[in-house]
Amino acid sequence: MNCSQYDVKGYFLNETSPDERTAIEAHLEVCGRCREELARLKALRVVLAALPEEEPPRRLAFVSDRVFEPSPWARFWNSTPRLAFASAALLAIAIVAHGWIARPPAPAPAPDLAAIRAQLQAELSQDLQAAVEKAVAEATARQERRTAELLQAAERRYQQQRLADRIAFEEAFEVLQKRMNVYRASLAFGSAQ
Amino acid sequence: MIFRDVEDPDLIQGAQRGKVEAYNVLVSRWEKRVFNYLLRLVGDREDAMDLSQEVFLKAYMNLKRLEDRNRFAPWLFRIAHNEAYSHLRRKRPQTEWDPQAAEAAPLSRTAPLETALAVRKALELLPEEQKEAVVLKIYEGFKFEEIAEILSCPVSTVKSRLYTALDNLKQTLAPIDARGVE
Repeated sequence: MNCSQYDVKGYFLNETSPDERTAIEAHLEVCGRCREELARLKALRVVLAALPEEEPPRRLAFVSDRVFEPSPWARFWNSTPRLAFASAALLAIAIVAHGWIARPPAPAPAPDLAAIRAQLQAELSQDLQAAVEKAVAEATARQERRTAELLQAAERRYQQQRLADRIAFEEAFEVLQKRMNVYRASLAFGSAQ
Repeated sequence: MIFRDVEDPDLIQGAQRGKVEAYNVLVSRWEKRVFNYLLRLVGDREDAMDLSQEVFLKAYMNLKRLEDRNRFAPWLFRIAHNEAYSHLRRKRPQTEWDPQAAEAAPLSRTAPLETALAVRKALELLPEEQKEAVVLKIYEGFKFEEIAEILSCPVSTVKSRLYTALDNLKQTLAPIDARGVE
């Protein structure tokens, strides 16, 4: 009898198809050697089962332990207010960026007081001199304008006076000529009589 | 158990989304099996404990890569297998099956404790790959396909290793088998 075509170990390990099982069971009914093989395998399983499962000597580090715990950031990120946090974070970043971009110039290093004083004095002296010069120039210009105005006014008065005198002279001369004409006419009339 | 009604795939999905409590339950469900698998491979409780810790840490770190949540067990034991073999490579070279050593194994007594010791000894005498096939099939109850996935080898190789291991164990444990287990 050819027993090699029957997978008795597979049958024992429950790794055969239903058709194979049927064929093997039929074979076992007629084959004493294969029945003995199956009996040895079943006995072996009983012996192997004598090796008990053992409890671990201590509990494993569960996920509740620190080694498995997600980071505080991951826990927070998975929490409900993460959107609010994200919005606040964006706003904070915008504020910081704006502050950085529009920041005031960095402060100068520690000042040299004597140099600053000398520089200030020099600048003050220059400013003072410029202010005086400017004031003098303005006063001079103002005075020149005033003088010119006075001269112009005097000139106008002089021309007006001349004109008035000439008119008065011409009027007086005209009166005189009239009187002389009257006198000549009276002379002529007297001599004619 | 409080979470027994929740299936593993649901817990895995929760853990993949960052729910640490879900992974916590997964660990509590699988730690004993993983520990015993490793213990039977490496033979030392403290080593098995440390390796179990590593296995669950690596599983947690890589859980998002697990696409088929129904294949969690083979995936987890694949990690355990890698950890065990890294450990064994550091500690000692692979053992070869030695029939003389098997015959010389002290199996004269069959009280339960001695039987357990005899079985442990018989397993230790097997080459690593045969022993692992026995542990995954007989003790952990995986199917051939799952074992092939864990060991990253063809199913035919799994069958070959397992059948050879059973023959070797029958030979080594024959005295106990003949007397029966008390």
